[in-house]
Amino acid sequence: MTTALTVRHASKIFGVQKALDDVSIDVEPGEVRALVGQNGCGKSTLIKILAGFHAPEAGTEVTVGGVELPFEAPVASESVGLRFVHQDLGLVGNLDAVDNMAMGQGYITNPLKTIRWRKERAAAREALTALGYDINVRVPVAGLQMSERTAVAIARAMSDRGSDVKMLILDEPTANLPNAEAQRLYQLVRKVADSGVAVLFVSHHFDEVFEMADSVTVLRDGKHIVTRPVEGLTEDELIELVIGRTLEEHNKDSADAREHGLEILTLSEVSGGSVVSMDLSVHRGEVVGVAGITGSGREQVAGLVFGGMERGGVISVDGKVLPQNRPDISIERGVALVPAERHANASLIDQTLRENITLVDPGRHMTMGILRRRPERADVRIWLDRLTVKPGGETEYTMSQLSGGNQQKVILARWLRQEPEVLILDEPTQGVDVGAKADIHKLIDEAAAQGSAVLVCSTDHEELVRVCDRVVIMRRGKVAGILRGHEITADNITAATIGRDAADPAA
Amino acid sequence: MTDVQTAPAPDSAAVKPKRRINLGFDKYSGIYVWAVLVIIFSLWIPDLFLSWDNFKTILSFQAISTIVALGLIVPVAAGAFDLTIAGALTVSACFTGWALLNHKGVIFACGGALLIGVLIGLANALVVVKFKVDSFIGTLGMSSILAAVAYMISGGGQLVLSEEGYGPFLQFARQQWFGISASVYYAGVLAVIIWWVLEYTPGGRYLYAVGGNPVAARLAGVKVGRIITVSFIASAVVASFAGIVYLSQNANGAPDSGVNYLLPAFSAVFLGATQIRPGRVNVLGTLVAILLLATGVTGLQLAGAPTYVTQLFNGAALIIAMALAARTARRRG
Repeated sequence: MTTALTVRHASKIFGVQKALDDVSIDVEPGEVRALVGQNGCGKSTLIKILAGFHAPEAGTEVTVGGVELPFEAPVASESVGLRFVHQDLGLVGNLDAVDNMAMGQGYITNPLKTIRWRKERAAAREALTALGYDINVRVPVAGLQMSERTAVAIARAMSDRGSDVKMLILDEPTANLPNAEAQRLYQLVRKVADSGVAVLFVSHHFDEVFEMADSVTVLRDGKHIVTRPVEGLTEDELIELVIGRTLEEHNKDSADAREHGLEILTLSEVSGGSVVSMDLSVHRGEVVGVAGITGSGREQVAGLVFGGMERGGVISVDGKVLPQNRPDISIERGVALVPAERHANASLIDQTLRENITLVDPGRHMTMGILRRRPERADVRIWLDRLTVKPGGETEYTMSQLSGGNQQKVILARWLRQEPEVLILDEPTQGVDVGAKADIHKLIDEAAAQGSAVLVCSTDHEELVRVCDRVVIMRRGKVAGILRGHEITADNITAATIGRDAADPAA
Repeated sequence: MTDVQTAPAPDSAAVKPKRRINLGFDKYSGIYVWAVLVIIFSLWIPDLFLSWDNFKTILSFQAISTIVALGLIVPVAAGAFDLTIAGALTVSACFTGWALLNHKGVIFACGGALLIGVLIGLANALVVVKFKVDSFIGTLGMSSILAAVAYMISGGGQLVLSEEGYGPFLQFARQQWFGISASVYYAGVLAVIIWWVLEYTPGGRYLYAVGGNPVAARLAGVKVGRIITVSFIASAVVASFAGIVYLSQNANGAPDSGVNYLLPAFSAVFLGATQIRPGRVNVLGTLVAILLLATGVTGLQLAGAPTYVTQLFNGAALIIAMALAARTARRRG
């Protein structure tokens, strides 16, 4: 049997930098292969070459099911049997599954070019059923669960477009999925592979690699480090392969022994979004995690506490009540929010790192009505250094020139610079590579050590284990439990978020 | 980008970094194009083009457009279109003319016109911020309302100020210092003020932040609604001031006074966004754009082109500016 994908001597140079350096890999039909590495390791470059967005250097050869890939255009990649699902899925939210699936391949029409809706809907339903999903194909996809949306995107990619599908390529397929939904997706991918299609997926989430992949390819600095079966590989070994050094061992004892100060953040009967009622108090120097599946209210906790949305109940910081819907007053009282989805909620993408960091109080370096650039730059440079933002010291780079992990550090710098009393982080390491993730976790430790109360909302349970003194479990809009000390393990959190009463509507 | 990126080559023997001499074509292309225009017209029609008088004409002809464009920069920086600038100019010119002809006094006439500017800005903000109407549509509607208001004030006819009766007021824009008319100085002072606000005050940062990402700005404590409101007031007051200058320069206010100022202002601001600080609207870029457009139009007219060439040139420039801006955005993203 011919291999599904053969890559030989793939290289790509941008300017003076070798983004991809003589990479050769093979993927067999029916194999699920994970492609891992830090941001900038070359994995997106490789995917973009396969997708026909980048022309590789001479000498690069790629064959798909024995047919040579011409590196011309996305159309050429598709015609040899490669299919792509990008991280943002590329769905139009206000159209239903039928319309979204027809976008790539066109509609089924009668001779008068009228769309045959019944046939079209049946086809969509059939394609989704084949993937194990029973979805209402007539509601706008924005109303579907994340994993269902992913399924629609995969069904669209897999559908026949005049060529046999040889390989499905996924970019961070479960990046934004809560655990239970991710499980469904693992099954889906397995179904695709069982039908003889090879699957290649890019991932930062190692649990996804271990759950889903047969084998893993590690890239580092554009070079192929290793390809090996997942079986027999431990998570620590994989992390070492990815970053090329041993991860600093976190001393969990230090977090346990951390002295907690006075209570500073108090929530009583807070409601809003899918949160029904929430009581909580957080002390100085304490890191409290919030876990919960999507729809449990977890995703709204950060916005509610910060005062970015309408809410009921009372929230006070150091005895002073925070009004709802007034981020400016919350900030005045010492509250900081690093929101989820930094592109939409935090970044000024075309503006400089300096402007991004000083956004909260641009007037700090003003004398006689004029903002002084020099002291402002020096100030910002200190923060870029402290958070090890790369490339170092470049205050005038725009946000768009940085990788995701470094962008997140810049947003974090914006708020740490305010020396907040209460630091709220929502999915702080979403789409961030392993190295930057470890750095961000260390910064959270440091903020707590300096007396801030920290609230971390996250779907990454390993992350909560790593940073938290206490983890609040959200279920159906309420606090369903609290884990402390040695109870905080990823398995315990997952079990608690799904909960025994998860299927019981009366609870 | 002026920085030469010096990322270490993994294998320095394999790839030699190419040093490029950066002449700033990305940031200063407008100045190069302007220089080319000057050379072309200098060779083509040297007697007419290369004269001090022509230079003065270019400047004073552009003073009012420049004032309007400078005001427009403010809401555009905050991500909002303001299509009422021409209407505000017209209403202001008509009101001032009406007040002067009815002997209400210069202070009442001009103060009233500026106050009307504040009200227009507040009305725009009400529509865009409170009613959440898209700024393009909202101010388009407002501009039609303003056209009606101008008609009501002027009674549909022209409000003509005679030389004899209104000499001092007409001198406001017409008097010359060092051979250049006062309106040019007003534009200059305004340019400095808006440049200072945008580049060197927190207010400027907030404007660009709201224009860049209103959600992020709000979550960083910026009062987004207030910033947009202030930006609309700024552009309307500046346009009203332009209306006073217009009346003083032309001694004539009518319901169609402002029609020729809307498109050039947008051309200048968006073409300006590709200059000096590519990717964002800015004062210096806008001035470069105005100089470029004015030189092109004046040169063509002196060379004997028909009058409609102005509109042709401005329209083409706006489209080219937007296409260039889209390209800049693509390259940066």
